[in-house]
Amino acid sequence: MTWVELHSESERLAIEAQLALNARAVSRATELYKRAAELEQKALDQLDVSKTRTRGITAVSAVALWFKAGEYVFAERLAHSMLADTQVPDFAREDLRDLVQAIWTESAKQKASVSFVPGQVMVSVKGGEVVTGGAPLDLIVDKVQTIQSMFYRTIEFVSGVSHRRVGRPTKELQEACRPWLFQSAPGSYQFSVAIQKPAQLDFFKQDIEPERIARHFLEIVSASSGDNAVELERLVPDENYRSTFLKLARNLSPTGKTFDRIEFRASGEAHPVTLSVESRGCINQQLRKKSTICSTADEVREELRGILRAVHLDKDWLYILVDGVPKQIFGLQEAVDDVIGPMVNRSVIVQAVRVAQNKLRFVDIELAE
Amino acid sequence: MNVPVNPKLRLELLHERHPGLTASLGGAFFEAASVCLNRHHDSPVDMNIVCNDVTSTKSVDFPRPDARVLNAWANDIDTTETGAYGVSLAIMEDKEQLVAVRRAETLTGADWYVAPIGIEPDDLESCFRLEVSGIDVGGQLAIATRLRQKINQTRRGKSNLPAIASVVGFKEKIVALEKVSDEK
Repeated sequence: MTWVELHSESERLAIEAQLALNARAVSRATELYKRAAELEQKALDQLDVSKTRTRGITAVSAVALWFKAGEYVFAERLAHSMLADTQVPDFAREDLRDLVQAIWTESAKQKASVSFVPGQVMVSVKGGEVVTGGAPLDLIVDKVQTIQSMFYRTIEFVSGVSHRRVGRPTKELQEACRPWLFQSAPGSYQFSVAIQKPAQLDFFKQDIEPERIARHFLEIVSASSGDNAVELERLVPDENYRSTFLKLARNLSPTGKTFDRIEFRASGEAHPVTLSVESRGCINQQLRKKSTICSTADEVREELRGILRAVHLDKDWLYILVDGVPKQIFGLQEAVDDVIGPMVNRSVIVQAVRVAQNKLRFVDIELAE
Repeated sequence: MNVPVNPKLRLELLHERHPGLTASLGGAFFEAASVCLNRHHDSPVDMNIVCNDVTSTKSVDFPRPDARVLNAWANDIDTTETGAYGVSLAIMEDKEQLVAVRRAETLTGADWYVAPIGIEPDDLESCFRLEVSGIDVGGQLAIATRLRQKINQTRRGKSNLPAIASVVGFKEKIVALEKVSDEK
């Protein structure tokens, strides 16, 4: 059989597999992908090395089909043999490397004794003090915590849980949908995050597709990172959730001192959602537009830079140490635990309004470092 | 007074004209495009097509989706993407006389390759790769920005493989297309 005949049959099976997957017939889809992969690999064998582009595209296609069939050993073996081939064009080489990375992560997930919801998010922290495969521990711990908070918030939001101002997510949610961190091939400092599959099958409401959690997460980060307030409003109609997502995205964004940008992408997606120093500016603009504080003529807006020493959301105050002098600020309003909590004992910038000689009312807080 | 009627753009039965599509996938593209258009418009709707900086208008007929179809296409993001493929392929055929001939898998989905009508190439050496994106509610600026991103992405993606980037704005009724490379 020729390349055309084999590839055409592989295409037909892959289309059927995709439609089966859309219809949630997962085992049929897997079987169809496997047959499509076998044919695509045979099609690849038919190609003359002079057909560089066709070979590159077919190689990627065959590896992707093995991957989609869950046949990671076949996928990895073919990917490596094609990467060793000097005739394979650069574009295919790049795609094959991404596939190898995805294969490794999926294999690691398979070996873990828990299941994960499909889809994961690759995170890359870049620039500044970050080197290939290494980064300051406090920076990474901070980002991982914030990403975990954003995932929990995303799950709560899509599950229709009321906005939480204090405390952590329910124990039930934390246990059911625990985020896992997987090591990724170094390229700046990279890791991937996957969500453990709830053991209880009806944990998510009927109209929620768990595999979309990673996508929701990325869409929310993307909409938060730019100046497209309309898109964020469409995705997150609840104003409290919207405000929390914006503030968590700001916590993830660089100030430019220790790193330059943080990128998020769905596994295999070449083009990331990026949070940069500029994104922080855009997020601040969105948040300040929303600020409902109305200052009277004798109230003065102040910016305080210092170390956040204590927060009490129930009693509605925080303490900040400015040049060794403690300042108490009241009226935390919509400040939430997972946004403000990780800032304790760190340099922060607090926006406040002086409402009396010794009384400051809270407007906003962000990390200064 | 006669109101001029814009020429029609055919979204239905794409598989009869695009040899790379199966009947079920062609049907899925048409259904998804109908769901996306129905969110904002009544049939027929006039769509503005900006193809390589030349603007024209085409009238699009689509059936009103029933509850079953709406339920099957309840996922906004996937529906917008699938619908954008349907519209882009129909426009490609109409404006550029190019039809879908081949598909190749990628990690997250699949790439489509198009070739001139009547030619069924026996490899992908001179096919155009189609890079499609759908926007449900974004305005003209969002569509232009997305097209620019798609063009950059296409340039970086498959080296100098000739490609066409297409962005479909369903609410705005605009489709923007651009050939990224005219090599080969």
